[in-house]
Amino acid sequence: MLIEQRALVVSTGLCVALLCAGVLYLSLGSMALPVSAVLPALFGRGEMISVFTVQELRLPRLVAACLTGAAFALAGVLMQTLARNRLATPGIIGIDNGATAFAVASVVGMGVSLTPPAMALAGAATAAALTFGLVAGGGTQGYRFIVAGIGVGAVFGAVTQLMLARVAIDTANAAYPWTVGSLNARPGDAVGLLAVGLGAGVIAACVVARPLSLMRFKDATAYGLGVNVKARRFQVLMLSVVLTALAVAVAGPVGMVGLIGPEIARSLSSSRQVPLLASTLAGALVMVLADLAGRTLLAPIEIPVGIVTAVIGGPWLLWILMRPQRSHA
Amino acid sequence: MGAAALRNGMVGLLLSGLLVSAAQARTLDTAFGEVDVTGTPEHVVTLYEGALDASLAAGVTPLGAVTTRGGDNVAEYVEAHLGDERPAIMGVVREINIEAVLEQRPDLILAPARLTEEQYQLLSRIAPTVVPPTQPIAPDNWKAEARLYGNALNRQDAIEDAISAVDQRAAELASALENAGVGGRAFVVRWMPGGPMVMSKNLFAAGLLDQVGLTVEDAGLVGERGVHSDVLSLENLSRVDGDWLFLATLNKDGREALEAAKQSSAFTRLDVVQRDQVVPVNGQLWSSANGPLAAQAILDDIEAALLP
Amino acid sequence: MPLRVARQRTQMTLLLTALVAVSLVSLLIGAGETGPLRALAVLAGSQDSDASFVVWQLRAPRTLIGIVVGMALGVAGALLQAVSRNPLAEPGLLGVSAGAAFAVALTLVMGASAATLRISVAQLGALVGCLCVLSVTRVRGVGSDPVRLVLAGAAFSGLLSSLTSLMLLYDQRAADEIRFWVIGSLSGRRLDDLAAMLPSMLVAAVAVVLMARPLAALALGERAASGLGHHPGLIRWCVVACVALLVGGATAMAGPIAFVGLVVPFAARAMAGPDIRRTLWFCLPIGPLMVLAADMIARVAVAPSELPIGVLTALCGAPVLVSVVRARRLPSL
Repeated sequence: MLIEQRALVVSTGLCVALLCAGVLYLSLGSMALPVSAVLPALFGRGEMISVFTVQELRLPRLVAACLTGAAFALAGVLMQTLARNRLATPGIIGIDNGATAFAVASVVGMGVSLTPPAMALAGAATAAALTFGLVAGGGTQGYRFIVAGIGVGAVFGAVTQLMLARVAIDTANAAYPWTVGSLNARPGDAVGLLAVGLGAGVIAACVVARPLSLMRFKDATAYGLGVNVKARRFQVLMLSVVLTALAVAVAGPVGMVGLIGPEIARSLSSSRQVPLLASTLAGALVMVLADLAGRTLLAPIEIPVGIVTAVIGGPWLLWILMRPQRSHA
Repeated sequence: MGAAALRNGMVGLLLSGLLVSAAQARTLDTAFGEVDVTGTPEHVVTLYEGALDASLAAGVTPLGAVTTRGGDNVAEYVEAHLGDERPAIMGVVREINIEAVLEQRPDLILAPARLTEEQYQLLSRIAPTVVPPTQPIAPDNWKAEARLYGNALNRQDAIEDAISAVDQRAAELASALENAGVGGRAFVVRWMPGGPMVMSKNLFAAGLLDQVGLTVEDAGLVGERGVHSDVLSLENLSRVDGDWLFLATLNKDGREALEAAKQSSAFTRLDVVQRDQVVPVNGQLWSSANGPLAAQAILDDIEAALLP
Repeated sequence: MPLRVARQRTQMTLLLTALVAVSLVSLLIGAGETGPLRALAVLAGSQDSDASFVVWQLRAPRTLIGIVVGMALGVAGALLQAVSRNPLAEPGLLGVSAGAAFAVALTLVMGASAATLRISVAQLGALVGCLCVLSVTRVRGVGSDPVRLVLAGAAFSGLLSSLTSLMLLYDQRAADEIRFWVIGSLSGRRLDDLAAMLPSMLVAAVAVVLMARPLAALALGERAASGLGHHPGLIRWCVVACVALLVGGATAMAGPIAFVGLVVPFAARAMAGPDIRRTLWFCLPIGPLMVLAADMIARVAVAPSELPIGVLTALCGAPVLVSVVRARRLPSL
């Protein structure tokens, strides 16, 4: 009961923080609006220009930030639990690289007619499928999947660099958002798809929550507690991959959120459960704040959100690496 | 009351009639279909170097522009054409800051050919957004683009003048070079650590070189749509051995790049190097700029380098 | 046992023969018009000045550099894997490429030009990147978790490349030039570069020879090594210093080339068995073989231009990485 209560408090707290961050997000920017003007503008009242700013420019971007952040973080916490490693994020294991390579191929016009977001989705799926295929038969141990993913990612990374080196700088510029991750002028239909996918993903994650919390222990223990480890592992992996793919199609590779979100959630929550909901909320919060910082810090120049999260996440990452290793992630 | 309203209406009609006769509503063919622009826009934002160039050539200093590569401000050659009013920075080409554009409350946005659909949807709700229709790269593209931008600005005459000034200057330079006996085959390359990249003969600068009487070639290495070739193998360096070699560098000091290239024995073996007919040029201007002002700046370079 | 030694001797002879053959072929083929026959005539002493320029001034240096780079990367990989007891420890996966790219971007943003850039910058970056990953993961602790080192390297590379992107966002000129610097290539490298790197590499080579015995002892376990009178901690740091010198030198000459340090020791171990000393010997011919083969494909695949060799090594290295992890258990070293 106590645990439930704590989870409830944490989730509520994160929700409130997310709401506050959202209001700030809508009010700050090149066209600064007072907070009191944000709400009316949201409902179409007030000056035309502020209504346009809030409704057309900032709100869609805020929604995209929340959804992608949540999806990346949920995918991250799932994969980390599975691999029993706090560094195992979908971004690190090559799904992002696959998406980037395909999106860049689309931008530089390698004879494909799909739009970059669709290609990113296809790329993420290809990278994941390749990784799955490569480890098939070699056991479903988490680390095999990760290392194979890193290998697949390295190949896609090299191919991306080759493509970028062969095209003109203007084309390379057009491909740039897909190499770093950005929320500037994102495709609406991909956001819609992500919203649906995230909703389904959260429900699915709730279903696997209990077996997942048992899978943090040794395989034998989990078996003993009645978990079909092999099947569960595959389901969780698929869920994580699908969430990442959908998010990458919207924002490009912003993998670091998959690391930061779960870290925050873990530090807030009790260690007895996998903090799925808290990670999801924390991921959304991080993404919103990061994009807000990217839009405002160096105005009028916007820093792509992928760079902001990497710069925040980097030192954090080093800290995790330098701390003494713990047996369970 | 009714009479007053009628009178007001009449005045309005008259006024708008006057405005229309002064500035017809113009329908422009853009990459995203037809765009209507009325009047003479004064509040202009340019999101492309070529648009900034054309706009300045037409006599309009934009309220906002994106930065050029290699700096946090507009291109060097543009500086000379700016008065006291400087355009505000609208971000970089890679990330256009749409809110900054909105803040300027423009009545016209001149955008690059490579604008994404999503960006266009937002920008076109702020103001009429003119995106030149994409086409295969050709030396004369800049004229069509400048005319499109000039038409949007309702300053067709100024743009025509600027374009014909370039043509005239090129013709003069061509005859001066002919009298001086300068001509022949020319290549434009960029030097990379592994070897040179050959720039397309369809580039803007290559077109100007053609106009002044040189024959620009790309040794068949650059495809129809490409801007430059892959890094050429040093073994094939003789393919760029013409009468003139223009060595584009993105540095302020082109001599440095020339020295670096001379470290390679394959480069110093070239005839054109031994005859000392290698011309280091500003790669930013030569490979990425676009528009009448840039054309004049490139012609300045050619004149300084080729005329004895 | 004698049977095994005899087999290894045959394998070694075959490898050395193959290396000589590949080096020869590397002189004969290229992206240019100088075909194998003309090149062969030059080797036989013909006076064809164009062809002899191509063979001796262009192909010979890159062949030589390819050989040295291959040896350095192969040995460095084997060393790193032995000392970390991790078959996945590969310099290229440990932030070397990202470190090099970061350093190059930094100097470009600070005003240098790609055409005039001194390669030592890349070397320095590669070193710093590699050392960072190794020191934060504490070489000592990774034995228990082979994946941890690789993950750390991947994460660290991600961080560095994001910082690189941040710098490039501001500086379009650097963005334009960096594209050609982040993938390794043997084209246009001069013998001067090789000469500049040779002293530090020779120092490393001598150190490796001296350390071979203690390293083999370390493979028996810390206690055994200490019992034999060696200092495990000291050995580890010496090995890391050697790896840094070797990888730094190779990166300085050819740019970041990934996966050679993974594939070569993998093949060498398959032939030589678990003894680190034999593995190191086998790395010497296998490394150059792989680099030269990749370089020749790079030269002819898209003639008259060239592919960067880094792409090719990534393409053939990734399958090996996968097959290492596909093994039922990670072989412990």
